[in-house]
Amino acid sequence: MARYLIGRLGLMLLTMACASFLVFAVCEFTPGSVARKSLGPFATQQQVQLLMEKLKANDPLMVRYGRWLGVLLGLIPDPLQDPGTGLNFTDWRGKQYFGNFGYSTLNKLPVNDIIWERLGNTALLGGIAFLLIIPFSILFGVLSGLKEGGGLDRSLSVICITFTSIPEFASGVFLVTLFVILWPLLPGTSPLNTDAGWSLPSQLVLPVAVLVVYDFGYVARMIRVSMIGVMEKPYIRTALLKGMSTRQVVLGHALRNAMIAPFTVLLLQINFLISGVVVTELVFAYPGFGRLILEASLFGDVATIEAATLITVAIAVTTQFIGDLGYVLLDPRVRIS
Amino acid sequence: MKWHSGRQLNADDVVWNLKRVCDPAIGSSMLGLFTGYLVEEYETGEKDDKGNPKKSSRLWSDKAIEKVDDSTVRLNASTPQIAVAEHLFHYPMFILDPQQNGSFGPAANGTGPFELVEYTVGKSAKYKARTDYWGDGPHLATFEFVDLGDSPGAGIAAMASKQVDGLSEADAVQINSMKAFPHVAVYKVETTQTIVARMHPEVEQFKDKRVRQAMRHAIDRDKIIQTVLLGAGTPAEDHHVAPSHPEYAALPKYGRDVEKAKKLLADAGYPNGFEYDMVTRPDPIWELNTAQAVAEQFKDIGVKVNIKSLPSAQYWEVWTEAPFSLTAWGHRPLAIMTLGLAYRSNAAWNESHYNNPEFDHLLTQAEGILDPKERSKVMAKIEAIMQDDGPIVQPFWRVFSTVMDKKVKGFELHPSQYIFAHQYGVEA
Repeated sequence: MARYLIGRLGLMLLTMACASFLVFAVCEFTPGSVARKSLGPFATQQQVQLLMEKLKANDPLMVRYGRWLGVLLGLIPDPLQDPGTGLNFTDWRGKQYFGNFGYSTLNKLPVNDIIWERLGNTALLGGIAFLLIIPFSILFGVLSGLKEGGGLDRSLSVICITFTSIPEFASGVFLVTLFVILWPLLPGTSPLNTDAGWSLPSQLVLPVAVLVVYDFGYVARMIRVSMIGVMEKPYIRTALLKGMSTRQVVLGHALRNAMIAPFTVLLLQINFLISGVVVTELVFAYPGFGRLILEASLFGDVATIEAATLITVAIAVTTQFIGDLGYVLLDPRVRIS
Repeated sequence: MKWHSGRQLNADDVVWNLKRVCDPAIGSSMLGLFTGYLVEEYETGEKDDKGNPKKSSRLWSDKAIEKVDDSTVRLNASTPQIAVAEHLFHYPMFILDPQQNGSFGPAANGTGPFELVEYTVGKSAKYKARTDYWGDGPHLATFEFVDLGDSPGAGIAAMASKQVDGLSEADAVQINSMKAFPHVAVYKVETTQTIVARMHPEVEQFKDKRVRQAMRHAIDRDKIIQTVLLGAGTPAEDHHVAPSHPEYAALPKYGRDVEKAKKLLADAGYPNGFEYDMVTRPDPIWELNTAQAVAEQFKDIGVKVNIKSLPSAQYWEVWTEAPFSLTAWGHRPLAIMTLGLAYRSNAAWNESHYNNPEFDHLLTQAEGILDPKERSKVMAKIEAIMQDDGPIVQPFWRVFSTVMDKKVKGFELHPSQYIFAHQYGVEA
């Protein structure tokens, strides 16, 4: 078991390393220099050049990648923190420590000062959404899968497919029109700022609603298909002929078997909820992780993009791992070799 | 006039700030404005990767920025310059504290009516009023900017639920959606913000000035203002001098004349028109909409324009190099400021590559005339040259607009988009 875990951990680190290098290389080829974006279009070319030199942005790709990796692992101090650069950049954690993501050129702060709070905000949003998606999708999926083609199945399927087809920016605007403008019950944006008198929970309602509406239908469809497959199995027929009520059959036999395949799908929603909710964050001005990645990408803030990449890859690999472990628990035929 | 810390502001502080922005290492765009009369460019003697000589900037003389006494600073310019006051009003010209080495941020010293107490990029900036401000006001205890991101809907939603008391900008479409809100007041101001479709005169198709004239006669300005700006604009006259500029000289107006345009093209050797790519950017949306509107109108005279929309990052890399491009220009209070920046031969932002010695000569003359009425006599000649020979098609001047909650009193829109927060109050 220990060897299995170490193997998986090693694989995760290798994936993170490859992803970080790919992202670095891609940033290289995106147009627009970071210095030009920092100073604006009206700064002279010589001023842009000077800033590029200060940021050591003209060094070859491998040198910069190596430097970034060294700073991250705590092997070398961050050269940008050197007072000689004139950048006025300081990190209270020090110049050289493990986990030093470096300097965000967009926010002019250490990446560590910004990224964790934003990640926390999105985790809050995604977490609440996830807790609602699970029961809704299971309910809809199980009920429609009980009797394929039945009246209940048809009506629930229409609901699921319709909701999943509506893009987030459309449902966001629609919900704002209903609950902010027509019936002023909720705040229109969610900057997580209570100065205007709207409580934090009230600011979370609409963005969570958008995410749940968008996502539960998709998972419900997966569960429905799986449920249909299980309900056709001979052992279910046997249980019904034995005299068990439908409720006992579903809860006791069908559900656990039906959840095996959708389990991975559910876990994959975590990845979506962490890095894919950028549209919802934009519509509601939510200070989240997705918006941070978007702004950093458009600006060319390599340090923030890299940090975000590593975090997202780690989350993706971890959820996959949990998925595999979950299989072991759900399906007794699967064992770790 | 005192700093927040209580210290008196003196000439040494001002001189230090002026000299600081002239240092290329600081990266201030004030350097570009001061170049030509306070600052000169020189070749350092080194060469860059491409073999071109490296340039740097320095004050043209030790006496360029001179302290006369504790409360007087004199600027000794190498050439006459009437826009000095406007340059010093430009937004990057903050007065920072030399004792803090020019640091800007929460707890930085300043001389303004508010102190910055909190500043998080991407989130908010919070200000607190000071009690010993040397001017009028402030009438607010605190003032806050909230970053609502790029989605235009977010601004509307925030105004609807009264999470903010106003927006820094609201375009015509947003204002349309907010018309029905009873607590919202709309503010508008005419500005000299504009957009120009500029053509490189060295390019084959645009070389003959008759082609450029034809392009000017192809567009219907009022129609563009109606469709793109929903009426929030005034027609422009292809010479980049606005009626609101003090030195504006009125010339006979002309409008869309498809027959004349086609004849001009035919005379220049293009009886069947031609095809060309036009570069623009997708954001803000009114720029792309303008590109589409003018492209449709150019089609009517036989010039087929293919719109190449580049995201901002790419756009700013190539904006001066593209042979045909649609560029937005910001507000400048004096016409000679933009003309000098954009159309003087070899100017840093001469994106249209316009090179006309007579134009340059007249412009230098105009720059030395302080009285706007006298200056407009020279401007008439400059404007005529632009309409006859110039590189641009200029459809409109933008009206800038925003919204504020009706409880905000004393609010006025200024074309520079500055926020004069010390004049505002909030009704209880």
